[in-house]
Amino acid sequence: MRVLLMGHPNVGKSVFFNRLTGANIIESNYPGTTVDYTKGYMRQFGEDIEVIDVPGTFSLDPKDKAEEVAVKMLRDNKDAKIICVVDASKIERGLYLLLEIIEEGFPVVVALNMWDTAMDKNIQIDAPELEQILGVPVVPTVGISGEGISAVVSKLKDITPVDADAIVERMGGI
Amino acid sequence: MELTADQRWELIEKISEKTVKFGAYRHTLKDAIGDLTVRPSTGIPVAIAVLYGFWSIFGSFAGTLFTDGFMCKIFDEHWLPWMQSVFPGGLGNWFYAIMVDAGHIQNGMLTASDNSFESFGVLTSGLFVPFGVVLPAIFIFYLMLAFLEDVGYMPRLAVLIDTLLHKIGLHGYAIVPTILGLGCNVPAVASTRILETRKQRFIMMALVATFIPCGAQIGIMQDVIPESIGFVMLYLFIGYFVMGYILNKVIPGRAPEILMDVPPYQKPMLKNIKRKVWMRTSGFLKVAVPFVLLGCLIVNILYLAGTIDWLGNVFAPVFEGWFGVPKETAGPLVAAFLRKDLAVAQLSAIHMTKYQMITSVVLVSIYFPCVATFAMILKESWKALLGSLVVLLIAAFGWGGLLHLIWKLMGVA
Repeated sequence: MRVLLMGHPNVGKSVFFNRLTGANIIESNYPGTTVDYTKGYMRQFGEDIEVIDVPGTFSLDPKDKAEEVAVKMLRDNKDAKIICVVDASKIERGLYLLLEIIEEGFPVVVALNMWDTAMDKNIQIDAPELEQILGVPVVPTVGISGEGISAVVSKLKDITPVDADAIVERMGGI
Repeated sequence: MELTADQRWELIEKISEKTVKFGAYRHTLKDAIGDLTVRPSTGIPVAIAVLYGFWSIFGSFAGTLFTDGFMCKIFDEHWLPWMQSVFPGGLGNWFYAIMVDAGHIQNGMLTASDNSFESFGVLTSGLFVPFGVVLPAIFIFYLMLAFLEDVGYMPRLAVLIDTLLHKIGLHGYAIVPTILGLGCNVPAVASTRILETRKQRFIMMALVATFIPCGAQIGIMQDVIPESIGFVMLYLFIGYFVMGYILNKVIPGRAPEILMDVPPYQKPMLKNIKRKVWMRTSGFLKVAVPFVLLGCLIVNILYLAGTIDWLGNVFAPVFEGWFGVPKETAGPLVAAFLRKDLAVAQLSAIHMTKYQMITSVVLVSIYFPCVATFAMILKESWKALLGSLVVLLIAAFGWGGLLHLIWKLMGVA
């Protein structure tokens, strides 16, 4: 199995990556720390799973070279599963990239990261409801303390691609 | 099925209405600090204070405390004399000259060196430069950088300097490659990928390779020319803006606005800082130590073979006429291709005036990227490499020659 960590810049993908693989890659509190992809491995479900930390991208329509790397990674790994890391305190724009990834037909787990920051900002997200609507697992996480990360990993096993039409339908069409 | 962008946003709005509640936002202390450091009236003084603090700690810890107070004593008083006494051959022997000390002519006599800058042997200067001088500098630089990065100060700095950097075709985030470059130019070149257009990436790479001295070089300058390092840095920074301004006018292409995302301040995590400092410092040692040793070896061999003297004589009109520096500067300039820190260390052993020294150090910074940076730019794009070489040739002659002119006008050249 191959897993891609995707998401906006500075949502904590590298923190996730270091946690999952025990690797050491540079993580910082500013967008654009990761400009190239990094591979690592984690042992899970009795197999070695390849995890790839992908540079942050706002959409699948790249606007700089780091984003080009990200989109290329996705295109080159059609059989990969995706952990889409979303900044819970800026959830709406994170959903845009998520929808694009779903439309491309990738199986996805959503990590609603920086859950603590969202709480600080008094933003309440109904994760189970979101999971219902999207049809993909949605897990609140706090990357830097490690909360929720094992839950994200455990969901990886059984995810399958979902149909974007079904999401539109559940929301009563557009 | 594929949605259009508008359809996606519409869908997101519906989803968000059902699942997200935005409560009343509490203004926290973090936000207050955040505002203070971004608003220009308070943010600029804070930025100046932060950068000044950065510089003072860097200088006092790496230069004064560690290198002068500790490493110089170990190397000059113990290691060098010990090597001079036990290494076979002795003064005048060619192998001894390469490995330990070539000595210098004083009053017509070949005299042994008494410090680890002058001796320039593989086992003396070759170890003293990376471990005695540069390691403490790199360590403290990366420690402070990791702290600023993790707290989340960098994006604020980017916002503040945005307007200024637009004048040279870049934008606020160009501060990231610039500051990384002050540590090492290699990761700085990689980080130019966060810039949007090819024009911006090229300008950034060229400026980093020419006008941003790396941490290793700054560390050694602190030790060799403590009284003029401020001037050298300022002269290079001005060059950075002048050259940037010109490149922005000359190079076709766009330099778009960006909307900057400023993340909230965050308490830095000790574990992450430790890891980053360790990774970057050990990364430095792995790349730098072999190159310093190799550099010492090659330069010594070229000296013994007479190649350096030959180069010096051939280019003497350029060195002496255009730049106003001694022709012996040829040696350090060869070394500078391998390691800039080594080159500055070597300059310190050449007899010249303070002003010639400043010019030579500026030349070492500008004239060519070190081989590691060279390879990194090549990896990004060979066109960028060719372009950068043209830029730095112009920069070296222009900016170096201008300095000579300034000294002439001041009557000190």
